[in-house]
Amino acid sequence: MSAETAAVKAQTQGKMAIHVKDLRKSFGSNEVLKGIDLDVAEGEVVSLIGPSGSGKSTILRCLNRLEEPTSGTVEVDGFRITDPKVDINQVRRQIGMVFQHFNLFANMTVLQNVMLAPVDTGKKSKAAAREQALSLLERVGLSEKANARPAQLSGGQKQRVAIARALAMEPNIMLFDEATSALDPEMVGEVLQVIRDLAQSGMTLVLVTHEMGFAREVCDRVVFMADGVVCEEGPPETLFANPQTPRLQDFLSKVL
Amino acid sequence: MHQRRTRTGLRAGIAAALAAFVLVMTGGAAQAAQPVVEAGAQPAAVVQPQAAEGKTFTIGTDTAFAPFDYADPNSGEITGIDIDMIRAVAEAEGFKVEIKPMGFQPAVTALDSGQVDGVIAGMSITPERKKTFDFSTPYYKSGIAMAVDQDSDIASFEDMKGKTAIAKNGSEGLTTGEELGKKYGFKMSSIEGSQALHDAVTSGQYAAVFDDLPVLQYAAAQGKGLKLVGDPKPAGDYGFAVKKGKNADLLAGFNSGLEKIKANGKYQSILDQYLKNPETASSSKGTIVDLAVSSWPALSKGLVNTLTVTLAAFVLALVLGLVFGMLKITNSRVLRGIASVYVAVFRGTPLLVWAFFFYFGLPQVTGWRIDSFTAGMLALGLNAGAYLTEILRGSVQAVDPGQLEAARSLGLGWGKSMQRVVIPQAIKIATPSIINQFVITLKDSSLLLAITYGELLFEAQRLAGANYRMTEMLIIVGVIYFVVITLLTWVANIVDKKVNK
Repeated sequence: MSAETAAVKAQTQGKMAIHVKDLRKSFGSNEVLKGIDLDVAEGEVVSLIGPSGSGKSTILRCLNRLEEPTSGTVEVDGFRITDPKVDINQVRRQIGMVFQHFNLFANMTVLQNVMLAPVDTGKKSKAAAREQALSLLERVGLSEKANARPAQLSGGQKQRVAIARALAMEPNIMLFDEATSALDPEMVGEVLQVIRDLAQSGMTLVLVTHEMGFAREVCDRVVFMADGVVCEEGPPETLFANPQTPRLQDFLSKVL
Repeated sequence: MHQRRTRTGLRAGIAAALAAFVLVMTGGAAQAAQPVVEAGAQPAAVVQPQAAEGKTFTIGTDTAFAPFDYADPNSGEITGIDIDMIRAVAEAEGFKVEIKPMGFQPAVTALDSGQVDGVIAGMSITPERKKTFDFSTPYYKSGIAMAVDQDSDIASFEDMKGKTAIAKNGSEGLTTGEELGKKYGFKMSSIEGSQALHDAVTSGQYAAVFDDLPVLQYAAAQGKGLKLVGDPKPAGDYGFAVKKGKNADLLAGFNSGLEKIKANGKYQSILDQYLKNPETASSSKGTIVDLAVSSWPALSKGLVNTLTVTLAAFVLALVLGLVFGMLKITNSRVLRGIASVYVAVFRGTPLLVWAFFFYFGLPQVTGWRIDSFTAGMLALGLNAGAYLTEILRGSVQAVDPGQLEAARSLGLGWGKSMQRVVIPQAIKIATPSIINQFVITLKDSSLLLAITYGELLFEAQRLAGANYRMTEMLIIVGVIYFVVITLLTWVANIVDKKVNK
């Protein structure tokens, strides 16, 4: 899906998957996000790139309120999650998240990891959750590992289980926080393939990534951040080929 | 407490300080509580002895004051002149008694704090004691004698010049010894508990011991290396005591019953049984293995009590540890503060102080009677709970924060996330420390002998009081503790490995 079609879709349906306005976040006296505006249309695939400490991950974590925004508004999937009255657990069930360090539940098997949330939130019966978990594991190519413990898996396998676990809640949006950064190089491909499949299925994805090639390939739009502000954004082919700001030019010269 | 001291000698100072603290504390509370007690008490004069009929009274006794109160070497049951006397009196008067072998000082403290109704413990009637207690008519006329090691050269009070003798704390023997000491130029020292008194002399720590004549006669007859020297001094009468102004019916019943058994010859036959031809206890001879075998019925009872109180206390401690451990990691400052205060208080104060507080202190203030099991379980449980709070808090915080984040990001609430993801991992981390704490609690349960709880060490010292084989009893008890703890640790580790794969 191109940026244009995404924009058309947003206009015609009048619905943004994510709408962020003047988002600020401080840790103590250190202001990490200095007024972010960001819209993501339904079905759009957006990646956040930028140097370390630019605030990419913090934005992502504000989208499901793992970090409490200091000020500004964040609307996700029609919920204003910065409203204190919102049931944040309800909202989070619509937003899957994949972490850099996988965070698979160490006290459970692979299958139990995937089944936990649907069963415990009352979304599915145990039998239904099990059936779904097995089909998700098959989708990420790990059905034979259903009864393994996380400690017995490679990094790439862990991350694919983590994606299956997030998908088990049937979210409308998926957030990927440097999903391949902790992986050995030979395992990056298998995880990117799963994300690529998701992108092609039409799900709304927001990725924080250092994989520039991948961002260029699958994203509708790339957002470049530096020092807590959005510095430059646009379709990948434009942004990468013709960077406007010196910050982005400098960044690209280092990573490409 | 005095039992600990007599046994190790190492912590004598600490023990004495603690005892002083508790006595001061409970003594102070007694005065405060006195007017209330007296207001509700009936004057003794109007009470008829029949008033005791059909009732059940709890009677505190000494544990190691043969031949008046001591553990039967074979059964481990409490026996002696005092025990037979109170039972005979109760039978004659138609009331029931529940005997609690506590040790002299704990029994006196328990009487003062209302934990027992009466005390019969070879206690001399003194003007000082009459201020706190009401005494029966005397049931035995005692004397004070001096004994020395059987190989000693000391043959008279004169030979004691420049030496040091020992007596039981607060006893007539101490008073008499001090008077004689002034006259003959020797010093007096004092400790608690009769059994250690005699050991202190036969082991050469002290030159002589002053004690009640029948007690020394009995000990000498057991072949424990003591001989009597010098003329016994006449001393006070033994009386049965109740708290001043309380249990007048029991006191009247005792006096009436005593007359009856004196009249029917029962009284004399009890005295003759213990004083005329005291049997030499079979367990006074034989190897340590024989001693272990003959002591096992009593020791196994003690072991069961040790395990019972430890398990009960540890269940309480786990509940407290989980609750306060969770409070410590909440965002609420108030809840964290409450948990911190709990931990600080119970880690910052000795277990024994709490055991005394629940057993002797609280009943005196509130009037509730708390049995030694409950008091001991509370003290042990609250103490271990404070340590478990810190163990569990630390273990929860040792779980990767990403685990909680991942659970929360799936839409699980905080409680559910803790329950399903964080706590199971924290318990796995905590298990070795929890096992360790359990072992500590089991060992600490031996302190409960100070509040007369019948655990393993308490039973051992009761037996030693009768068979005079303290060293061997301690070795036997040490081996039992070691074997039980090693076995439990082994089982716990196997379970840990199975459950926490």
